Amino acid sequence: MYHALLANRYLTSRVIPLVAVAAVGLCVALVIIVVSVMSGFLEEVRSSGRTLIGDVVISAPIDGIPAYEQLVETLEAEPVVAAAAPVVDGWGLLRMPYPDVGAKDTQPVQFWGVDPARYAAVTDYGDSLYWAPPAEGAELSETDFRARLIDAIGTGGLADWRQAGLDLDSGRPGLAGAVLGLHVSKMNRRMPDGSVTPAGGDLWWMPRHTVQLTSLPKAGGPSPEPIREQLAVVNEFRSGIFLIDNNRIIVPIEVAQRLTMLDAAEEVDPATDEPTGRIDPARATMVLVRGADGTTAEQVRERVSAIYAEWGATIDGDEGFAEGVLVRREGEGVRVETWEEQQAGFIGPIEKERELMRTLFSLVYVVCAGLVLSIFWAIVYEKTRDIGVLRAIGASRLGIAMIFIRYGLIIGILGAFVGLGLGALVVRNINAIHDALGDPPTWLGVVLAVGAAGSLAGLIATVRRGRLLPLVLASLGTLVLGGLAAAVLLFSGVTIWNPETYYFDRIPSRMDGFTAVTTMVGAILFSVLGAFFPAARAADTDPVGALRYE
Amino acid sequence: MSEPAVDVPPADAAADAAGRPSSPAPAAASGPVGTAVDSPLIEARDIRKTYRMGRVDVPVLRGASIAVRPGEFVAVLGASGSGKSTLLHLLADLDRPDPGPAGGEIRFRGERIDTMSGRRRDRFRNRAVGIVFQFYHLLPELNVLENAVLPAMIGRGRLAWLSVRGAARARAREMLESFGLGHRLDHRPSELSGGERQRVAIARALMNDPDVLLADEPTGNLDAATGAEILDLLTARHRAGLTVVMVTHDRGIAEQADRIVFLREGRVETPGDVPTPH
Repeated sequence: MYHALLANRYLTSRVIPLVAVAAVGLCVALVIIVVSVMSGFLEEVRSSGRTLIGDVVISAPIDGIPAYEQLVETLEAEPVVAAAAPVVDGWGLLRMPYPDVGAKDTQPVQFWGVDPARYAAVTDYGDSLYWAPPAEGAELSETDFRARLIDAIGTGGLADWRQAGLDLDSGRPGLAGAVLGLHVSKMNRRMPDGSVTPAGGDLWWMPRHTVQLTSLPKAGGPSPEPIREQLAVVNEFRSGIFLIDNNRIIVPIEVAQRLTMLDAAEEVDPATDEPTGRIDPARATMVLVRGADGTTAEQVRERVSAIYAEWGATIDGDEGFAEGVLVRREGEGVRVETWEEQQAGFIGPIEKERELMRTLFSLVYVVCAGLVLSIFWAIVYEKTRDIGVLRAIGASRLGIAMIFIRYGLIIGILGAFVGLGLGALVVRNINAIHDALGDPPTWLGVVLAVGAAGSLAGLIATVRRGRLLPLVLASLGTLVLGGLAAAVLLFSGVTIWNPETYYFDRIPSRMDGFTAVTTMVGAILFSVLGAFFPAARAADTDPVGALRYE
Repeated sequence: MSEPAVDVPPADAAADAAGRPSSPAPAAASGPVGTAVDSPLIEARDIRKTYRMGRVDVPVLRGASIAVRPGEFVAVLGASGSGKSTLLHLLADLDRPDPGPAGGEIRFRGERIDTMSGRRRDRFRNRAVGIVFQFYHLLPELNVLENAVLPAMIGRGRLAWLSVRGAARARAREMLESFGLGHRLDHRPSELSGGERQRVAIARALMNDPDVLLADEPTGNLDAATGAEILDLLTARHRAGLTVVMVTHDRGIAEQADRIVFLREGRVETPGDVPTPH
């Protein structure tokens, strides 16, 4: 029992152990914050991947899947499949008008040609449309440009824009609609509240403007000619992944097929130049599949793979198709993958990066052990006489060691919980902290300046007294507070997490429970480990030597 | 030439309420020692203890012997460096004599204690002896009551302590009140005077009702008046039946004891103190 009594008293009767608690807490918080951001990042990639491409993807990037409509219908007849959607993807150059600045710009984009209704059934396309009424129950912040739009054109106006996005319909004859990623336009600016405001306070894509998409087709011989399509921008989408929002545009599937020359064609007899009556059907480069509720992506993939093989065999012998129309088999330029497998090239490195971070940051355990060791070593030295007294009145070696091991345990536990609290606080408010750091409130600068002035007054007073420790503390306080005050008052509007640089437009703020628990346990274990050596030294203290001199 | 050791008849005290054995008869104590009737409570025979200072061996005890009978108050008188404290530490089993037969032996109630295992030695120090130091050695983080009760905590596991905690605290409180410290129970040692600290140290030493109290210069750090008070306190406990061995360099203080054993250059100068071998 005396171990607990003395360990508690040693903890509460001096400041240094509290410094150890704070240091262990900071170490734990550091790991929790870093790994939580990494885990949040990974989770965002995963969930975004799924909402963008569904559960399973059949991809045939070389020359596409012919007669994909039949495949989609066959797939949708299966109980494990909730919906399927064909996609034609390709790369092109997008010519963007920026009338507000009197210039045009050309930038590379990835276009996805979709059947909008089917695409929306497989993915969360409808929810990703940005210029749309807010979801039920959601409130727009005052600085959100959409709030101003509602004032100007009403919720009904925004609902029309959403519908235009859902239909990819420009409402203008001969002009297809396109939906651009929210950051394709250089005129869109991210606001501190996470919303986006078009520069100049005017929607650049309003019906007065069209964009031109130029592509080199997949077919068309050894030197294909570029193909151009004029498109009216009807809305913008936000997936939350900057890499996608920055360079993807959604267009009707027919447009994408024309741009890639994967549209349907009649077969011509080369000898007579006459049509043979058979067709080379339109193709899709991907078919996205969403599984029925209660199925796993793996189950869906297995079934889709089997259906694809069976369906492919029926097409190969179809007399209605031109010669050479073949459905490529899985593994021969065609892949059937779950969303996670398809994204593996992207998810894998992030996972490894996170584990590397976790491992590297595990060094904080050693820091915990080192902190406790050095502080306890000094305490044992200081307490040598007390240890001698305890031995003299019958305390065993183990009992003496237990005082310090228990002491280390208390510091580890307190530090771990301080770290958890601090980590949780930072992770939960990471975007607010980020915004505050980028644009700190003026009152904070004033408070810091007042603190610096107070510290300076203390410094002047201590100079007169001539004591060194208060002098050092007051100098440090003046410098730190003064520097912070100057930084806060002079700098503002700095965006640290720039969505143009980083993958997501907001810092993921998801607490990683597993990491929190393992880091806390690690910090406690290593604090106890750090206490072992001073504890052993204390246990080995010769009571006679300890008591001999005063 | 040293002065002869002085044998003082022990106080004629009756057995105390706790059942402590009464002091031996004065005739037995002052006459030839080592009779079977009053076999020693604690006894050191031909003890040698050498310390190593760098590369030099420094012999501190060179064959010292002492036997203390139950209920005796023995003062070990000697100059600084004569080995008094070392002898006391050996009697308290805080230290061991030189290894091997040449180092001598220490017995408590006839049983060797210098060769006991670590756990038994801890238990011996906790239960059989109480130690009072010149510099009090109270733990600064604990208050007066906690300091006094500490040996009772040390000797017990968690459950055992919980079962006796109330009684132990009551005993410590009662003892401290009888020492005039009733109003100081919640105070830290740093808030006490030297005499008060030493009284707390004595209360701590007596907490587990030891068989023998070993006091190392208990008045050495106090003024004459306070020292006398402490000595009175020890004498009173001795009269109540407690066996006391006190180390001092002050002859005036030593004369308060039943018997004085003179230590000079690591040897006891009163051969009569050593019981005749059986």
